[in-house]
Amino acid sequence: MSTPVLICDDSSFARKQVQRALPPDWDVDVTFAGNGEEGLSAINAGKGDVVFLDLTMPVMDGFEVLEAIKKQDLPCLVVVISGDIQPEAMARVKKLGAVDFIKKPVDAQRLQQVLTDFGIYAG
Amino acid sequence: MRGERMSTEHLDEEMRDVFQEIANVAMGRAADLLARLLNNYVVLPIPVVNLLERNELKMALSSLKSVDSVSAVCQGFVGSRISGEALLIFNDTSFQDIAELTEFKGDITPDIELELLMDIANILIGACLKGLTEQLDVSFSQGQPVLLGQHLNLQDLINNQTGNWKRALTIEIPYRLESRNVDCDLLLLFTEDSLAVLESKVRFMLE
Repeated sequence: MSTPVLICDDSSFARKQVQRALPPDWDVDVTFAGNGEEGLSAINAGKGDVVFLDLTMPVMDGFEVLEAIKKQDLPCLVVVISGDIQPEAMARVKKLGAVDFIKKPVDAQRLQQVLTDFGIYAG
Repeated sequence: MRGERMSTEHLDEEMRDVFQEIANVAMGRAADLLARLLNNYVVLPIPVVNLLERNELKMALSSLKSVDSVSAVCQGFVGSRISGEALLIFNDTSFQDIAELTEFKGDITPDIELELLMDIANILIGACLKGLTEQLDVSFSQGQPVLLGQHLNLQDLINNQTGNWKRALTIEIPYRLESRNVDCDLLLLFTEDSLAVLESKVRFMLE
């Protein structure tokens, strides 16, 4: 079965960058969301077993999405992909349950490494 | 849309989106340095991208109120057939907190404010431009930072901004600190002549 993957970022350019960085042979079913609220609905609909989450977004930002996932105990693995590279931002998202942090612009090798590290993708 | 020239009247949605994302990455790097300097978390905004006439410049400074007293520095840049200016505008109420956060002891005179303003301008403008040039694969040389004025209102500040342009692509980045009263606006202006080159660089990134 394909893995449901959600890419949540307010920029369509950034969403495409993440999609292009995914391992080409990874069997996935990709859903896109343009803000945290859309992202959370997609996760609730079972479309985000693996979530690539931006932080700076309108309507509902990435920190709020992580809080909601934690509170509702939603079954998903979240990798934050953000331009906010302050150590404090990284510490906060890890504390909120994100498995890892990738800085923008996303690097395909780094992304694949994270997927392998967490056993999400066998490589 | 491919092959279509970026209109100097309107900014198409795809271009606006890419500029916003590039600015997002660049401002993040600058914010990281500011956070380290001030030992405080910098709240990152969503950059605001516009194509504006000079007389609309006030619209590019949406986070500042016209009654606020502000101080500002401007720094030009040019290279790879792109030219523009970076403006860093501080709300004057910010300086007390900046002085405390940088552990400055003593009276905050206009000279001290100027020093703090120049220091932060160097850090933020330099890091932001570096972030932009790396992503766009261009190189800029930067001019000397120039003081536009201290304790001005927004209109006087805009009147002092005499760069040689009529219409510009503007990117507004309103930084603020999480737990302190520090507000500053970083405004990047790219002149009309630069738009065609910028567009081709962005098209290349989209491929």
